[in-house]
Amino acid sequence: MYTRPLARLIEHFQHLPGVGPKTAQRLALHILKRPEAEVAALAQALIDAKKQVGTCSVCGHLSADPLCDICSSPKRDNGIICVVSDSRDLIALEKTREYKGKYHVLGGLISPIDGIGPEQLNIKALVQRVSKQDAREVIMAIAPSVEGETTTLYVAHLIKPFTKVTRIAFGLPMGGDLEYADEVTLARALEGRRELE
Amino acid sequence: MYLKSLNLRHFRNYAEQSVNFTAAKTIILGDNAQGKSNLIEAVEILSALKSHRTSRDRELIHSSQTSAQIVGNLDRLDSNLELSITLRANGRRTVALNGLTQRRQLDFLGKLNMVQFSSLDLDLVRGGPDCRRSWIDGLLVQLEPIYAHILQQYNHILRQRNARLKTLKAGVQNTSGDLVIDDLALWDAQLAIAGSRVIRRRDRVIQRLLPFAQHWHEAISGKSEQLQINYKPNVSGDTDLNNLGQSTPEAIQSQFLDKIREKRTIELYQGTTLVGPHRDDIEFTVNETIARQYGSQGQQRTLVLALKLAELKLIEDVIGEPPILLLDDVLAELDLHRQNQLLDAIQDRFQTLITTTHLGSFDAQWLNSAQILHIKAGQLSTTP
Ligand SMILES: Nc1ncnc2c1ncn2[C@@H]1O[C@H](COP(=O)(O)OP(=O)(O)O)[C@@H](O)[C@H]1O
Ligand SMILES: [Mg+2]
Ligand SMILES: [Zn+2]
Repeated sequence: MYTRPLARLIEHFQHLPGVGPKTAQRLALHILKRPEAEVAALAQALIDAKKQVGTCSVCGHLSADPLCDICSSPKRDNGIICVVSDSRDLIALEKTREYKGKYHVLGGLISPIDGIGPEQLNIKALVQRVSKQDAREVIMAIAPSVEGETTTLYVAHLIKPFTKVTRIAFGLPMGGDLEYADEVTLARALEGRRELE
Repeated sequence: MYLKSLNLRHFRNYAEQSVNFTAAKTIILGDNAQGKSNLIEAVEILSALKSHRTSRDRELIHSSQTSAQIVGNLDRLDSNLELSITLRANGRRTVALNGLTQRRQLDFLGKLNMVQFSSLDLDLVRGGPDCRRSWIDGLLVQLEPIYAHILQQYNHILRQRNARLKTLKAGVQNTSGDLVIDDLALWDAQLAIAGSRVIRRRDRVIQRLLPFAQHWHEAISGKSEQLQINYKPNVSGDTDLNNLGQSTPEAIQSQFLDKIREKRTIELYQGTTLVGPHRDDIEFTVNETIARQYGSQGQQRTLVLALKLAELKLIEDVIGEPPILLLDDVLAELDLHRQNQLLDAIQDRFQTLITTTHLGSFDAQWLNSAQILHIKAGQLSTTP
């Protein structure tokens, strides 16, 4: 049905999240119609992003530099660290423009079913950071799923000896992601955080 | 409540089928393997969003199709509802109320209330504890749909904890060195919190069901035999939990955690969770003899019939209107005395769908004013 190179392109698109066979076909046919220079630029952008974007050495957020923009900004408050599960959640919180502290990205949640234990997450660095950086407060901003709850409790337990730990109280939709919560909800949640027992 | 009509598209062995229910009692008459139970199953799915026959949507869809639809028009005291569900071969579902797609399936549950009674229900007495757990859980979801979420949450934590225990069993070491804290304890705590929610609700519903069941058991057996229903929560062990109802959630959680501590070594050894409501049982006794061991098939039937009538009345009590009764193949199995007891109990207040292969064994009263539908190879008609 498809000539070889086209079939390969469609197949690669299909591996992308949220892309089914129909969309994959549409994207591939669209690409074929574009000028070659534009396609080359797209290919280069993919490779550059993959090669150049790593994680910030301090907070774990996606960054092309060893230190991300937030960690290197003198305007951000060093005394508050907000802990999120991944960079998507950090971006969602940044959009609220409410928060002026720093972040820490765990890179996932504790989930034995998926073979993810605390040791697979960016937790050790957080504890070191909190103990050195004398943070006044650590805010846990992790959606209250079963895995999120366990991760929050685990991290809070480790950090409590060093500083005050709070969590943001979201009235999130059941099974909801931070990403889906709208900005107003998140901004309100940030104000209404409460201390973890 | 009254189910006025049902539309099936590519569901099981149905192609495209509309049916109007025109009487309080509808008898669906046909040979074996024509689609009688499939029709009952469609109503069950509209009510509970699950079938007791399969957990795979693929099986519910006609074998030549990739999706199926069930639509029901329901009259309730306060509203008329169109309930619709679309099933897909890939397992994704869409549910809609009056044409409005519901983002959470939870909002669809508890709209159509029903009690199902089939010959399989003898397993309530004879089968394993899992039969009784799924029975009581099904009843709870109808009475408080949020229970579906609570139970799902519990099972999810259970799977995570089992996975964690399995890695501990395999001797996989926590390699984070100085950071080691007992993350199993975090799963314990979550299991205890979610588990005690399940336990409290199961206890509560059994307490509420008991007087109804005792009443009907006495009426049907015609003797002053005392039926007891004893909830046996796994966490209570051998201690008497007669006052579970008065226990605070915290007290149950702490008992839960004690029991986990007690079983810790065996759990680590077996790599699976041995403590919690996934191992609960419910015990039926008649005159203090356990019903499974006691009695003839007839006496066990009496017990199950009493339980089903109790369910009807309890749901009516809580919901404020009569649920729908689904009798799959079972009426013909009851003797005339029990048929009459059942008829007395439901009168014309409970809409009843009855399937059967023959009308011969029915008491004539059942046939009076009943709508009779004939079914052959997934096609319903009003004439044979
Ligand atoms: N997914 C399906 N596609 C087509 N036919 C099906 C499907 N599932 C079940 N059937 C058919 O439905 C019939 C069984 O219907 P059922 O309602 O259980 O029978 P009964 O009338 O005895 O209660 C069988 O003939 C079976 O092959
Ligand atoms: Mg059948
Ligand atoms: Zn950073």
